[in-house]
Amino acid sequence: MASSKASASRSEPPAAHPTMAGMQEMIPAHKEILPVIDSLKIQVAADRSSYIKKRMEENRLKLLDVSNQLYKFSMERRNDKVNGTDKSIDLLTKRQKDAIDMQNGIDISNEDKDSSSSQEDGNTSSAILLGSSIAVKNAVRPIKLTEVKKLPPYTTWIFLDRNQRMTEDQSVVGRRRIYYDQNGGEALICSDSEEEIIEDEDEKKEFLESEDYILRMTIKGVGLSDAVLDDLAQCFSRKPCEVKERYEVLAKGEKSVEGSGNSFLHKDLDAALDSFDNLFCRRCLVFDCRLHGCSQDLVFPAEKQLPWSYPDEENVPCGPHCYKLVPKSECNATVTSSMRVDPREKSVPSPDGTQAQISRKKSLGPSVRRKPKSSHSESASSNARNISESSDSETRAVQDIISVPQSSLSPKSKLSRKYGIHKRNSKRVAERVLLCMRKRQKKMVVSDSDSVMSGSHGSKDMKLRSNSHKENEDSTSSSQKLKPLSVGRPRKKKPPVLDSQKIVQQEVPHGPSNEVISYRPVRSDEILRKEEFMGENVCRQDTSDGKPWKTIEKTLYEKGLEIFGRNSCLIARNLMIGMKACSEVFLYMNSSRNRMSSRAGDGVNSLLEVYSKGDCNETTGNGVRRRSRFLRRRGKVRRLKYTWKSAGYHSIRKRISERKDQPCRQFNPCGCQSACGKQCPCLVNGTCCEKYCGCPKTCKNRFRGCHCAKSQCRSRQCPCFAADRECDPDVCRNCWVSCGDGTLGVPSQRGDNYECRNMKLLLKQQQRVLLGKSNVSGWGAFLKNSVGKHEYLGEYTGELISHREADKRGKIYDRENSSFLFNLNDQFVLDAYRKGDKLKFANHSPDPNCYAKVMMVAGDHRVGIFAKERISAGEELFYDYRYEPDRAPAWARKPEASGAKKEDAGPSSGRAKKLA
Amino acid sequence: MAKIALGCEPVVGSLAPSRKRDYRVTNRLQEGKRPLYAVVFNFIDSRFFNVFATVGGNRVTVYQCLDGGVIAVLQSYIDEDKDESFYTVSWACNTDGTPLLVAGGINGIIRVMDAGNEKIYKSFVGHGDSVNEIRTQALKPSLVVSASKDESVRLWNVHTGICILIFAGAGGHRNEVLSVDFHPSDIYRIASCGMDNTVKIWSMKEFWTYVEKSFTWTDLPSKFPTKYVQFPVFIASIHSNYVDCSRWLGDFILSKSVDNEIVLWEPKMKEQSPGEGSVDILQKYPVPECDIWFIKFSCDFHYNAAAIGNREGKIFVWELQSSPPVLIAKLSHVQSKSPIRQTAISFDGSTILSCCEDGTIWRWDTVATS
Repeated sequence: MASSKASASRSEPPAAHPTMAGMQEMIPAHKEILPVIDSLKIQVAADRSSYIKKRMEENRLKLLDVSNQLYKFSMERRNDKVNGTDKSIDLLTKRQKDAIDMQNGIDISNEDKDSSSSQEDGNTSSAILLGSSIAVKNAVRPIKLTEVKKLPPYTTWIFLDRNQRMTEDQSVVGRRRIYYDQNGGEALICSDSEEEIIEDEDEKKEFLESEDYILRMTIKGVGLSDAVLDDLAQCFSRKPCEVKERYEVLAKGEKSVEGSGNSFLHKDLDAALDSFDNLFCRRCLVFDCRLHGCSQDLVFPAEKQLPWSYPDEENVPCGPHCYKLVPKSECNATVTSSMRVDPREKSVPSPDGTQAQISRKKSLGPSVRRKPKSSHSESASSNARNISESSDSETRAVQDIISVPQSSLSPKSKLSRKYGIHKRNSKRVAERVLLCMRKRQKKMVVSDSDSVMSGSHGSKDMKLRSNSHKENEDSTSSSQKLKPLSVGRPRKKKPPVLDSQKIVQQEVPHGPSNEVISYRPVRSDEILRKEEFMGENVCRQDTSDGKPWKTIEKTLYEKGLEIFGRNSCLIARNLMIGMKACSEVFLYMNSSRNRMSSRAGDGVNSLLEVYSKGDCNETTGNGVRRRSRFLRRRGKVRRLKYTWKSAGYHSIRKRISERKDQPCRQFNPCGCQSACGKQCPCLVNGTCCEKYCGCPKTCKNRFRGCHCAKSQCRSRQCPCFAADRECDPDVCRNCWVSCGDGTLGVPSQRGDNYECRNMKLLLKQQQRVLLGKSNVSGWGAFLKNSVGKHEYLGEYTGELISHREADKRGKIYDRENSSFLFNLNDQFVLDAYRKGDKLKFANHSPDPNCYAKVMMVAGDHRVGIFAKERISAGEELFYDYRYEPDRAPAWARKPEASGAKKEDAGPSSGRAKKLA
Repeated sequence: MAKIALGCEPVVGSLAPSRKRDYRVTNRLQEGKRPLYAVVFNFIDSRFFNVFATVGGNRVTVYQCLDGGVIAVLQSYIDEDKDESFYTVSWACNTDGTPLLVAGGINGIIRVMDAGNEKIYKSFVGHGDSVNEIRTQALKPSLVVSASKDESVRLWNVHTGICILIFAGAGGHRNEVLSVDFHPSDIYRIASCGMDNTVKIWSMKEFWTYVEKSFTWTDLPSKFPTKYVQFPVFIASIHSNYVDCSRWLGDFILSKSVDNEIVLWEPKMKEQSPGEGSVDILQKYPVPECDIWFIKFSCDFHYNAAAIGNREGKIFVWELQSSPPVLIAKLSHVQSKSPIRQTAISFDGSTILSCCEDGTIWRWDTVATS
């Protein structure tokens, strides 16, 4: 029947009389409504109690079986015992018997036994009967339980390899905390009054079946009116509008169906990459990183990597389906077929200067693969061109104008709707349109001024970026696509996003070239018709491939091009396993290249290089666009939970620790795309830029690492060491380490340098630490093997919590006089209370043998514990907690520089935190 | 507190006594001066159904209920550490059927006493703080589970002395665990509750091989690969204060906080997503003047009745499985004024024992109603 919510509140009487009484003196109209509601309520209550009755009965029967079974077991145990072993051994049974015998025999013994209940005498043989109202103490000689040493108190904790961000549900902020004082004997509420106001969450409660029932029946009975809704709302303690809404839903006779299952087919690589973007930590290179959280800001490097240049494979086929095994003729066939499509293009001479040609190729190349997208806009603008020929402005506004009217062109839209039926074809068709226009454009360009070229060249990147909508490319027919695309584009982040081709095309009409003129009479619909025909050719070619290419495959292919360049073997092997064979990839690659090459009108050979180069730029630029868009969408949902920004409350109380007067600053990678200026968040925040930042390596704010040669980075001469940073082989010039313990060989040394010794935290090269009972107080940490001075011992790990959270938790910890808080930087405090490693048990000493140091390791602050002196095996580890003088508990205060310890000493008032 | 939605109201028992049964004080013992925290009948072995044990201070005492209200002392165990204060005791038994007493307290050391031989059998060191409750798995009575202040629940094999599982960690309790109970029929399931105001249901199904392994382990117990169970299968927030007692009633759970009532609820788990689910509060059993923590209730062998004491020394006996719940009897005595920490109902419900803060044990027996 009804499902209920968790609630601890006192129940109300099942029947609804109180509410009825309260409503009695309302306007007459209510008099008719209320009885209906009330009778329904009573009915619901009755249903409920009969439901419970039923459930209880079911449960009772089940439980009866269980307890009978248990009874059988207990009887069996008795029988086992009686039959098995001899009774005299079981003293409990014997005493039981004695007691019964005694009771049956003489009753007098009661008094005797009682009075003579000294510890020693005659009570080993029998039990003592205790009559009513006789006080007894030590009636039988007690059996001593020898003392066992108890453990020092601790709370079950979870071992951590590394620091972890606190998860939301672990927060104590805003929760009522009760501390039970063992000595005082009563519970203390350890939270501020301000926090106890727990706001009633206004979340919308689902309507329960019973409420639906009342709602339906009431309205059925007395009709729908505001009064009814009001009464119902009061009855449900909801808002009338809510009730009305619900009624409308019910009246429709169907529950609102949400989220029609998004099939896998609609997803493409972008969706997959989206989750990758959100879940994969680029700093730790793991999914679901506990340290940096998900939905981190994505930072894209300003300097791009070139696609991996693969050494020319020696014509070894990559597998049975390698393109190299496919008969040559087939390949040629496709090539020629695509050539055939527009033979005119072949004949076009290319008299233009090589320089211009290359630059154009660059701009053209990418668009071939992007064709579906750009082609829409191409054809759009081709139509548009007829309308707004006069405009040669390159501003976006003009483009808007162009693209909007275009969609209203009736012949065009009609045609394209037709294309929509075979989507892919239409794309190809549009592609052809583009080719034709390119042709014209090129010719025009040849004879035209350089400005056009440079224009197209310069805006290449933008254009490519704007192609990012490929995920939509096959979901809508081209005509529908047109409008949103061309209109939507200007809205994107980068204002100067201009489609270079559009620009060019706009200029085409003005071009003085003869060629252009000769093509001039071609009206848009004519072009389209022609392209339709050509599209069929293309289509035929496509179907000859066998399976058509799915979106995901196409996007994977494009990614593959980014990574491997035009190497179908690698693409197929690494990215398209189970989807496309190498030969298919090759064909696809070729067909797209043919299109491009025919368009470009010159040899294919030289293209590859240029193409891949342009391609690289294109796709990375493209990537930026796409990801940030997804990020924006996703951010709203996820960011609430894990965010850098909400984490800190630091600025309010900067504290002065013993040595340094400023806590370390939390580093967040900046996304600057050029050298960091004053706006750079890193600079503003006072941190160096790190390798995770987007800014180029030449950024002045970057930490450059060290060039230490022989010093092994162990002294302050090493800039890394001096800055309390660990060396980073990615950044430092000469720092390297060998693998393992050297038994597997040592990597070739770079020059005569020694291994870097300043990467121990990064490499987790820690000493074995043992947990044991401290010689001083509570638990202690001990060293297994002896170490030398300044040796790295291990890391103090814990939950990363905000300072505010630390203050809240600290209140309880201070009462318990056992705190595992450790100030890490201006944003975070480490709390090892529940999660940490064994070094959290190392005790405080004013004259310690270890010291703690906050190190910057690969962009994160971590706490390393180092030996202050030589420590021999088995020694207990101590370090100075460096509590702030005014807050330190008595045992950690400076003046009494004795061995006073952590756990003994009265509770401290303030919050004590360890400081590095 | 959230208002209970229409149609989900629990059935609340009426405090008017039904006079179904009448109980009368038949005996009263003063065990010592220190408060008694637990009293429990032996339900493991039918020979000892009339044997019960109490703990208080550093003492564990075994008694027998005889006819005519007579109580006989059978055994007494004293921890040499005078600072020990036992909080809980439970009957268990060895694989060969030897009756064992398992007690724990402030020291966090679990003492296993061999009642058949009157000597200490084993001591389990492991808990980092006091042990608040120990319960025995009725289906396998050499398995006991302990709830501790160190925020963990541990499963022990008393036969081999092995700590098999630790229920704590990422999804564990966030304050002292006050009570724990085995599911009566689902051997994998336990419920625990504590000062973090939650009731957590754990499953050891995936770890059952370790439980089996613990019976055949011959090496040192400390070498056993004890496993952490970090995530419960269900977390219920029924109460808004310490939850100090929880017991399974079939598939339902009885739990109490300091709100003067025992709540019977049904955990409705979602199979697909462990840890989530809803709670259906079915019934409530009011217990006036029961607003201090560490007052525990007890049930008879067949779960027909539950008895709970209150702050003023009165006992409420509820019929558990009727709907609406029926108050079988309300027991009060002019001299019983001290808070009753724990009660025990005998196998058939005819005898009710209570142990009090002032160190007394009260015995109540049914009187034949005319």
